[in-house]
Amino acid sequence: MSGEILGIVLRRIAVAIPLMLLVSILVFIVLRLIPADPVAMSMPPNATNEDIEALRREMGLHLPVMHQYAIWLGHILEGDLGRSIAFGQPVFKLIGQSLPATIELAAFGALFATAIGLPGGILLFRLRGRPSEQAVDVGSTLMMSIPEFLWALFLILVFGVAFNLLPFAGRLPPDMTIPKVTGFLLLDCLLTGDFTAFLEAIRHMLLPALALALGTVPLIMRLLRSSLLDVIGEDYVTMARLRGVPERRVVNRHALRNALLPTLSLMGVQFGFLFGGTLLVEVIYSYPGLGNLMVEAVRNTDLPIIQGAALVFALAVLTINLAVDVVYIVVNPKLRRAR
Amino acid sequence: MRRRTLMTGFAVGAAAVLAVAPPLAPEAKAAKDSVVIAWQVDPQTWDPNKRTVPVRQSLYKMVYDQLITQAPDIKLEASLATKWSQSADGKTVTLDIRDNAYWHDGTKVTSADVKYTFLERGKAGHKIDLVRIWRNVADIETPTPTRAVIKLSKPMATAIPWLAFLANFVVPKHHVEKVGADGFADKPMGSGPYKVVDYQRNSRIVLEAFDKYWGPKPKIRKVTVLIMKDPSARVAAVQSGRVDFAPDVPIREVARLDKMSALSGRIFPISRVILLQIRSDKAFADKNVRLAAHHAINKKAISQALYAGKAVPLSIVAPPGTPGYVADFEFPYDPAKSKALLAKSGFSTDKPLKIGMASFNGNFPGDYDIARAIVSMWKKVGIEAKLQVIEYSKYFELNRGNKLPEATLYSWDNAVGDPEMFTGYLMHPKLPFSAWKDMDVGGRVMKLFGVVDYDKRIAGYKKVAVYAASQGAVMPLLQSVTTWVHKSDLGVVQYNNGWVLPHTWSWK
Repeated sequence: MSGEILGIVLRRIAVAIPLMLLVSILVFIVLRLIPADPVAMSMPPNATNEDIEALRREMGLHLPVMHQYAIWLGHILEGDLGRSIAFGQPVFKLIGQSLPATIELAAFGALFATAIGLPGGILLFRLRGRPSEQAVDVGSTLMMSIPEFLWALFLILVFGVAFNLLPFAGRLPPDMTIPKVTGFLLLDCLLTGDFTAFLEAIRHMLLPALALALGTVPLIMRLLRSSLLDVIGEDYVTMARLRGVPERRVVNRHALRNALLPTLSLMGVQFGFLFGGTLLVEVIYSYPGLGNLMVEAVRNTDLPIIQGAALVFALAVLTINLAVDVVYIVVNPKLRRAR
Repeated sequence: MRRRTLMTGFAVGAAAVLAVAPPLAPEAKAAKDSVVIAWQVDPQTWDPNKRTVPVRQSLYKMVYDQLITQAPDIKLEASLATKWSQSADGKTVTLDIRDNAYWHDGTKVTSADVKYTFLERGKAGHKIDLVRIWRNVADIETPTPTRAVIKLSKPMATAIPWLAFLANFVVPKHHVEKVGADGFADKPMGSGPYKVVDYQRNSRIVLEAFDKYWGPKPKIRKVTVLIMKDPSARVAAVQSGRVDFAPDVPIREVARLDKMSALSGRIFPISRVILLQIRSDKAFADKNVRLAAHHAINKKAISQALYAGKAVPLSIVAPPGTPGYVADFEFPYDPAKSKALLAKSGFSTDKPLKIGMASFNGNFPGDYDIARAIVSMWKKVGIEAKLQVIEYSKYFELNRGNKLPEATLYSWDNAVGDPEMFTGYLMHPKLPFSAWKDMDVGGRVMKLFGVVDYDKRIAGYKKVAVYAASQGAVMPLLQSVTTWVHKSDLGVVQYNNGWVLPHTWSWK
């Protein structure tokens, strides 16, 4: 099995390289087509036109777009994503500092989506044909139609203001500080032995992770229900019933395993989107992640950060899809040779 | 009980406990010597010389000192410099530096730091805006540790106000040289009332009072700044009591929160103006049309509708309380006169003048709503404006390429209130922030850049500001407002330039 997985990984990497190149060209050219001047954005009030022109030249913005792209790509191959215009720091460093928070948040979001979506799907399946199915169906449609940032605000209003139960700003309480070891806060809390901070970090993560997850939950629920409906009439399920296996066990042990496969595919795609969903959620919850950095960069027309962050987001989606493929193979042995 | 049921029960129980249990650590201040602030932007860099973004200046002022600062009424007052003067030719600025100011590592602030900040950083190749501001510095003499003499190659009439303005903070030579420009942006060290003890980009800043600060000892010993860019989140944070102070709160929310006994809301005008920048050509080449467009705008109604009536209607580009303000000049709202002027140029509601108008949407509070109100007011007199929304960065690109429409809604901050930073920069036809390129008004403005005598300069700007408005070269609209909501028992000092300075605050 490990050889087949390695094959998949290598094939995916072979496809990812030209794909990333394409993404980089698209991002770079689209950003250059926008009639915005990042240079003049960072000028003092007494700047002269000569100052602006000098800075444009300094940043290479006077060169033809493809020439600029070639320089940028050359730097990337050397591990240099350029310098942020607004922050004045290397983009690589800024992304490196922000990425762990986003990975933690997206992972928690994915965990929540799975933890709510899978039981929800089974519940929906069990309720089939009953009047309550319609109510749950309407509820899930409603959940799906609300974007992440609205969920974020709604959760703040309910749990942060109305009931005043959960925090909604940053990753720790104002008077709590944890020394940075890895950048992954939960891990750092454990490494420094601060269990109180660990619990606080989880408390601070509950609402943003839930806001991220709630849009994905109905999709998982619906697809799982649909898949369960598909497999529930299969011979092996009927056989299990004839053997006298209780209905709950029939569903959980026999039907669910096969019904999970399409759901797993969907989850892979959705978790990629979930990573992208961190943009506004991080801003609303003061989360120091890549999404927040990206929004700041867009506001400032900070082209080097936008370009770098877009590549990282693309890479994240490709990595998640690769991971899902691997899990797919592990879960479904029948697919190993077919691939 | 089955294992699965047990595990499920545990998971649900844990989640419930986390949700319902009181915070393990207090969310907002417990003691009366700390505050939690919900701030609307990240500093982006801790190098205060790097950028000139007005909204970040308060954060820098918590950590760094300027040579000259401002009182709540925005008058200049001593800071690191105890005395200052400028020569009659405008080319020499002499500063006496206080001898009781210290950097956060305990070393003394000297004139060498002033020289390093305003001259040597540029020579060392540091990419900072301060270099562009002080591009004409030829030398800085430091005859003693408490005296710095700035020598300029050209007269700089506004050298003194600039020392109190954007990005003009003194930085520690020894520290910046040791950690480098990049290191300094991450490891700030100033001489201001607070030192930075923790900073997480786009999330929070923790500041602690600096014991050797030269000024009055801050009663607020610890300041936690939560970076909350979303206005709704700031409202929620202050309403739930998780933060003590929130700026830039939507107007309607200020009114609502102010009714709560534990909170106080403030809406007050600051030294920022909202105006329509005008092109001197195309349809607005006709003076009748420009004046008609200006007479048609009911500024008072806009202020009432969008700013609770707190935004002061303006007739020139200088708000009350600033040196260039002219109290006895008023450009009236007069739709009848507007119609008459348009008729002279052959336009009416039946045969409307068609122009373009640009506005931001979300760049400053109420911007797009103001633009829509003006479009509606213009329509009533016979001006049909096609409104386009542009990004802030696009404004510069359009202006640089001479592609702005006839009118552009704009907001201009000027914390020091000097008229050169208002009328001067906005009407100088050769500068990038001016849309007006005609030399009749522009030439008058350009001449004032060489006037060093303060009284003559201010008188000159008053005259040219009135002239520009009378010619329809600019349409000043309102003195902008800022908003605060804070806990009622927090004593907050209001600065008329909108500064938020917690070292001047105290709990009641």
